[in-house]
Amino acid sequence: MTNEIKPINMPKWGMEMSEGDINAWYFAVGDQVNAGDDLVDIETSKIINTVTATDSGILRAILGATGETHAVGALLGVIASAETSDADIQAFINSNSSAAAEPEAVTEAAAPVAAAVETAPAPAPAPATIPQAASGLSKLAEGEDDSLVAASPVARRLAAEYGVNLNNITGTGRHDRVSKRDLEAAVVAAGGQLIGNNRSASSAVHYGDDSNVKATPVARRIATQLGINLLECRVSGDRGRVCKADVEAVAALKNKIPAQTDSNTTVSSNTVASQPISGMRKTIAARLQASKQTAPHFRVHIDAEIDALLAVRKQINSSNTDAKVSVNDFIVKACASALIKVPALNVQFDGEQLSYFSNADISVAVAIDDGLITPIVSDANHKGLVEISNTTRDLATRAKLGRLKPEEFQGGSFCISNLGMYGIKQFDAIINPPQGAILAVGAGEQRPVVKDGELAVATVMSLTLSSDHRIIDGAVAAQFMSVLKGYLEQPATMLG
Amino acid sequence: MTTQQFDLMVVGGGPGGYVAAIRAAQLGFKTALVEKQHLGGVCLNWGCIPTKALLRGADIAHTLKEAEHFGFTVDNLSFDIKKLVQHSRSVASKLSQGVAYLMQKNGITVIDGTASLADKCLLDVEQDGKVTQFKATHIILATGARARNLPSIEIDGERVWGAREAMTPTALPSKLLVIGAGAIGVEFASLYNDLGSDVTLVEAEQRITPAEDADISALAEKAFVQRGIKILTNSIVQSLDSSGADTVALISGPNGEQHLEFDQVILAVGITGNIENLGLESLKVETEKGFLQADGFGKTNLAGLYAIGDVAGPPWLAHKASHEAVICVEKIAGVDAVKPLNKDQVPGCTYCRPQIASVGLTEAQAKAAGHSIRIGRFNLNANGKALAINEAEGLVKTVFDEQSGELLGAHMIGPEVTEQIQGFGIAQQLEATEHELAQSIFAHPTVSESMHESVLDSLGIAIHQ
Repeated sequence: MTNEIKPINMPKWGMEMSEGDINAWYFAVGDQVNAGDDLVDIETSKIINTVTATDSGILRAILGATGETHAVGALLGVIASAETSDADIQAFINSNSSAAAEPEAVTEAAAPVAAAVETAPAPAPAPATIPQAASGLSKLAEGEDDSLVAASPVARRLAAEYGVNLNNITGTGRHDRVSKRDLEAAVVAAGGQLIGNNRSASSAVHYGDDSNVKATPVARRIATQLGINLLECRVSGDRGRVCKADVEAVAALKNKIPAQTDSNTTVSSNTVASQPISGMRKTIAARLQASKQTAPHFRVHIDAEIDALLAVRKQINSSNTDAKVSVNDFIVKACASALIKVPALNVQFDGEQLSYFSNADISVAVAIDDGLITPIVSDANHKGLVEISNTTRDLATRAKLGRLKPEEFQGGSFCISNLGMYGIKQFDAIINPPQGAILAVGAGEQRPVVKDGELAVATVMSLTLSSDHRIIDGAVAAQFMSVLKGYLEQPATMLG
Repeated sequence: MTTQQFDLMVVGGGPGGYVAAIRAAQLGFKTALVEKQHLGGVCLNWGCIPTKALLRGADIAHTLKEAEHFGFTVDNLSFDIKKLVQHSRSVASKLSQGVAYLMQKNGITVIDGTASLADKCLLDVEQDGKVTQFKATHIILATGARARNLPSIEIDGERVWGAREAMTPTALPSKLLVIGAGAIGVEFASLYNDLGSDVTLVEAEQRITPAEDADISALAEKAFVQRGIKILTNSIVQSLDSSGADTVALISGPNGEQHLEFDQVILAVGITGNIENLGLESLKVETEKGFLQADGFGKTNLAGLYAIGDVAGPPWLAHKASHEAVICVEKIAGVDAVKPLNKDQVPGCTYCRPQIASVGLTEAQAKAAGHSIRIGRFNLNANGKALAINEAEGLVKTVFDEQSGELLGAHMIGPEVTEQIQGFGIAQQLEATEHELAQSIFAHPTVSESMHESVLDSLGIAIHQ
């Protein structure tokens, strides 16, 4: 170990990452750290990922405390040998902090076109932990699609890790196949370093159900009170159990004061577990607040009788094995048809520019753990009911698993939020910017209606449209709702 | 009462079903598994695992018999078949508990009862006469299969055993008839012969293990005959008469009809899918010849319904079911680059003595598919390790495509070949040619060196023969 001082910086995972939240440190100041150890969990608006140590030594300083937000590149901590003096460490921190200053307040990146609530699957972590001489290697990265180049499976895998295009490698294997050796030779020749054995295997950390974790009764109770997941804790108790000290260590790390476990005091069952909001919640909060503040919402409300729709639905589902069309699928189709008929509503507005769309890309709000996401049924006006149904089922399935691709939830020209399955009769929704309007759908229920002066019973559904009055006039919204009601009450008409 | 809802429900807790549930839970699905009897299914409870526990007993019996060859004298030998069965049952029970633990660990809701489809994405589960309804966006049927009966011969659990009874005997049969020489029949013939029964094996096709390469069947037959197993091929058991003390079987074959007497019969003529009482007919779910019809990812013709494992058709193997489980769930979840099942890459293993293992096309299948082929053969009697352990009866046969060098198939018979076949399986998956296999270094002394020599033989450069 030399006297070198090594920085731990905020990584940049993907093009759009500008900052990250410190979620949890695995080590405390003074701990021995080995290269390859998991150091700190960083949460972005999209993922939680782990920064691993590239060097061994003592963790001498932590500058990014848990819960803080720091810009990409900011100094989060310092690793050095035990012999390095505190003065040297401080000097290093001072000289490095000037570059990427103090923890700065989060400035919500001006939301570009249609960044819907984002919970993308983790993009491949940029190989930030693989130091490379950029210029030589970047040449190796250029070139056409290399999927047809003959290469061994191992060489192909490594090429992806180094970011090397196989077209640039001369193969010396049998039939000129590129071997692992060929690839590594080329990387070294280009001035790059081999990844070697201390490759960081950064993996997303998701704490799940901890009810099966072995823990002492005291530890379990403290963990519940402090909102700490037992899976986060080290196991130092006897018989492989998480003990009180383990939970308190995590609590200290998170700046949560451990509860008094004095046997004389009774613990209130109504405890408060406070925690910083997640990246997704932060995005939802910022976007909806901005929408409500900048877009003057006005609402129009209409009731639609859906008995005919329910009959058609029954016919389709019973005559077609590969179809399970829901009422919501009909609403998606009806909205798509209505948007084509009333194109003034099929619009995005970023505050300056109006964008009208020729096809209806319908965002459908899906509730997921800790939030919601709005996957898009694209070109819904060109899709049949069965296709809309199967597409929506697939999107909703993958939305819940966090496996949507960005293009599957970013964009959309109109949004539908349906709370009918909860028995909600009617509600208002907040526009999903930069879209111009959103439809709130209530439950279909039997209600008394008056027909030709007679009292009758019909299945009725209440629909509420929220529109941005800056760009959508009342008459346009009313016209859309009237067309929509027509399609829902006479489903055959939207097939035309 | 509100209907409980899951993202994904699995019907059947065998190696297809429980693996599907675990993979689904790993991917974040809210998952439930419905099982009517034993977690682990046939494989753990009444198939692969308990029979292997019994066959270990057969191995020991064989070892004791040949102990003299190695200089040991064994006196006063006695055997209690009940203890062997007890060992087999305790292994099965332990593994079933292991599956229960895995369900709990992965947060999977296990529902006891018998499931049937009430509608698309709607499952009725009946237990003790009470029916509970569940909703699930995706339902995977993994209900397995059971032994097939013949029109004239049915399993009665007394004189005529199915696999289930055959692995829980209370006494050793003295004269045993095994009908059917596929993997299951051959394993029981080998087991009971080693334990001391007088075994006759009847097969309607012209050779035993008819699904295997002909060279392998021939060697297996030779080894069986040497061990004293009587083999009647091209033969059919026309009827069984169990009215007397012994069961009289009327067997017709190339040499006419004959009446033979047995005190026990095992029926092992294939299996049929468990597709009854699942509500498939009213929903017009497609089935064919007793099995569900599904695409390469298990998707059936009904929205939100999938089928995997034995109930979805051959090959009826636990590892095929588990593999289908993973690709089915991953396809639903939109995992990148999921590939449909390639049935030519599913290895098959038969745990008779000597063992049989194979993957891919037989020589005849490769020719029929229009390949111009190159064959490699290596006999275990030139393998040092096989000679050292006194089990030098065996063969490794490799089938390569002449032009591309692709390993089309590999067929092995000999000691512990079931542990070796995946070497060829990995080579197939990586699309290795005969050259990569020839350049690989195989450790000495091992039985698996014969795999290397077989490949070398296909190039005409085998060293030791």
